[in-house]
Amino acid sequence: MRELRRMQNISQGQLAAALEVSRQTINSIETERYTPSLPLALALAQFFEKSVEEVFHVNGSR
Amino acid sequence: MSTGPVSRRRGVSCSRWFMPAFSVALGVIMLAAMWIGGHPASGFGALGVMSAVGVVFLFGGRSETIRGLRGDGRDERFAMIDLKATAAAGVVVILAVIIAFLIEVAKGHSGNPYSWLGAIAGLAYTIAIGALRWRS
Repeated sequence: MRELRRMQNISQGQLAAALEVSRQTINSIETERYTPSLPLALALAQFFEKSVEEVFHVNGSR
Repeated sequence: MSTGPVSRRRGVSCSRWFMPAFSVALGVIMLAAMWIGGHPASGFGALGVMSAVGVVFLFGGRSETIRGLRGDGRDERFAMIDLKATAAAGVVVILAVIIAFLIEVAKGHSGNPYSWLGAIAGLAYTIAIGALRWRS
């Protein structure tokens, strides 16, 4: 997600403001310390105009 | 399930003024209770402490912790943190009640009020489990 954000040249704060979450939440998602809820994950994917699978990956998925 | 824009909670409790006002109000209540109990000096001390807490809430907005406790800086991640912190605090209090009960009983006392507190905690937990299971 960090790569997608940097490609669009926006800061964590700007992304957070667009999605109405805190900057710390965006940072935690990018550093994989926090897994967003499904609505937030969908909102992030919609923001980047990607599918959820393109934005996120599941660790250890088969 | 809504897939619209994610938004933070809104409402009176999420205003940055709610927790400072609540802290001061609680301090006033504590003052009244201690005054009635014959300890007005302690009551003014409690009011001072709670007022200081209110000031921290009001002017500590740079801290995510303060904003989250205050209510206006909450999003889904902080709601999860709040839930886990509440559960952790509950476990600590229940453990303290159990330990205090055992100490009182070992001293030959009845165990009150810790036995009642422990029973209330167990009953509340069981009811919460049942209610949440029924709703989900």
